[in-house]
Amino acid sequence: MDRQLDAYEPVVGASAISQLRQLAGDLKGARVVHVNSTKEGGGVAEILDWLIPLMNELGLETSWEVVKGEAPFYNVTKSFHNALQGNKVPLTRAMLDTYEATLAENALRLRPILEEADFVFIHDPQPAGLFDLCPNRKGIWVWRCHIDASHPQRKFWVYLKSLVSKYDASIFSMPEFAQSLPHPQFIIAPSIDPLSDKNCPLEDAEVLTTLYKLGIPTDLPILTQVSRFDYFKDPLGVIEAHKLVADSVGARLVLAGGGASDDPEGAAVLEEVREAANGDESVHILELPPDAHRTINALQRASALVIQKSTREGFGLTVTEALWKGKPVIGGNVGGIRQQVHNHHTGYLVNTPQGAALRIQEMLRDPARAGEMGRQGKKFVTENFLLNRHLREYLTLMLGIRRGLTNHLIAH
Amino acid sequence: MAGVDTALNLRELRERLLSCPVECLFHHFCETVIRPTFDDPEFRNDFAVWAARDLQDRVLAERLGIINPYDYTDLEELRQLAVEVIDDRLSEVPYIPWVKMGNDFRFMRAVTVVFDTGLKLDSPDDFVTALSDLSLGSIYYHYVEARRRTDNHTDDFTAWLSEFGKTSEGLIEALAGIDFYFISLKDLRTQLVRATAPFRKETILG
Repeated sequence: MDRQLDAYEPVVGASAISQLRQLAGDLKGARVVHVNSTKEGGGVAEILDWLIPLMNELGLETSWEVVKGEAPFYNVTKSFHNALQGNKVPLTRAMLDTYEATLAENALRLRPILEEADFVFIHDPQPAGLFDLCPNRKGIWVWRCHIDASHPQRKFWVYLKSLVSKYDASIFSMPEFAQSLPHPQFIIAPSIDPLSDKNCPLEDAEVLTTLYKLGIPTDLPILTQVSRFDYFKDPLGVIEAHKLVADSVGARLVLAGGGASDDPEGAAVLEEVREAANGDESVHILELPPDAHRTINALQRASALVIQKSTREGFGLTVTEALWKGKPVIGGNVGGIRQQVHNHHTGYLVNTPQGAALRIQEMLRDPARAGEMGRQGKKFVTENFLLNRHLREYLTLMLGIRRGLTNHLIAH
Repeated sequence: MAGVDTALNLRELRERLLSCPVECLFHHFCETVIRPTFDDPEFRNDFAVWAARDLQDRVLAERLGIINPYDYTDLEELRQLAVEVIDDRLSEVPYIPWVKMGNDFRFMRAVTVVFDTGLKLDSPDDFVTALSDLSLGSIYYHYVEARRRTDNHTDDFTAWLSEFGKTSEGLIEALAGIDFYFISLKDLRTQLVRATAPFRKETILG
């Protein structure tokens, strides 16, 4: 991303940009490193894609590092991810050995930069073990958990807690995800970049061309769920909901799944989704490359409403994206979706395929009401979930920790 | 987060309330109004909101909801009052009201970040004119939160206006007449504009 802060002024206002510059004043020259497990695919990579250059523009020397491994490592970290979200997955000593050995290899490469940094942000469980592998740390280490960790599998949490307890602080997306840890915990909700390819305004012609290229007719209202093919996103439940309304209101269902390079489970889930669709021509299953941002943008804009029927969700940036585009959202009543979807205001929270079907019918039959919810959703995202607020909170955290946590922080 | 265990029932809430940092009390009693919400919550502090929505105890919610934290210059007094209200309720109910996992009360504290908005006012006339354009954040910081921040528990507007002597006495009186705690910040801004309207230059000049 090569956009500069001033480009956002027309969207977020001059005062929002001024706030960032004021806060960054005392942090100029600080060396900041973010570490996660992939540069492509998934919400974390999308956030870091804009966060790194904007922090640099504000005068913080910021870099982005990625832990690398072979397939067994990603299988283990996927299990970690699932266990943190509460799934009962086996956790063996062999798995932990694979994880620890891969991180030890990464540490050989990353130690110099991590040990010298003033602030290190470790994103999610995959790189969490780097802390112990960098014994000469000079700076502040923060563990940033993007995942719904409200009910982690206990055995796994005991292990992960032994790694992250040593950090100086942690960040969760919602208070409900925070765990008992012996250091300050901050709540920072994620956000979207309103000018990125995924969220920028598109001409109608581009939207229609995209649909044409993907073979999606415009004869019926389009319902879209955009997410990795992952059981927690419940694509099978979405297909069931679509089947329930197919005869009454008629709609096309688009399930657009991008792969994340650190997600080895996607192919198996995709296969099940295809089986469940059973050749239904009104169901369009799209396997998109990780950089298909404009395609996803067009799909969301072409939709009558957007679905995100997750059964666990850290935050749900696809919900934010849809609301930003003025689309009402039917979302699973979990995690960060609850923070964004407010019944009767920005969409509906549902617990079952039947609940989703009920709300799909309701909104397709009353487009004026759906349109009003879309307008409210866009306003809500503008005020709360754009990148300026997110960046402001990161800077506040850094400044707060550096100056000592007090009730007031004067930016200058 | 405040580093305090969550509360899953009313007895736990009482215990945590007794020991939590005063910053938590301030956050949960005073900063409810600045959180984004679609509902205009019927109660203005988080303890009352939790009692109503999660404990489903409206009697307790009403008793907690009527507490105006700005009536107490010492937050420890506020703590004692809240605990007393809960003790009363615990003595009345046949069982300890509880919530399901996930709806527990989470103790938090907040850092207020103060920015220079670039807006500078030179006179009471400027002040009256600028009020309707002030952000809700500025209104909260200068008119509400200042009462906790300043030694004499007054708002920033009044402190500044009093430097203008007799000319601003009427304005100060108008600001003092607003019952700010039980209304939303949007309504508060409207009331500030309304209360100071008679002092607008064009109003005075007819």
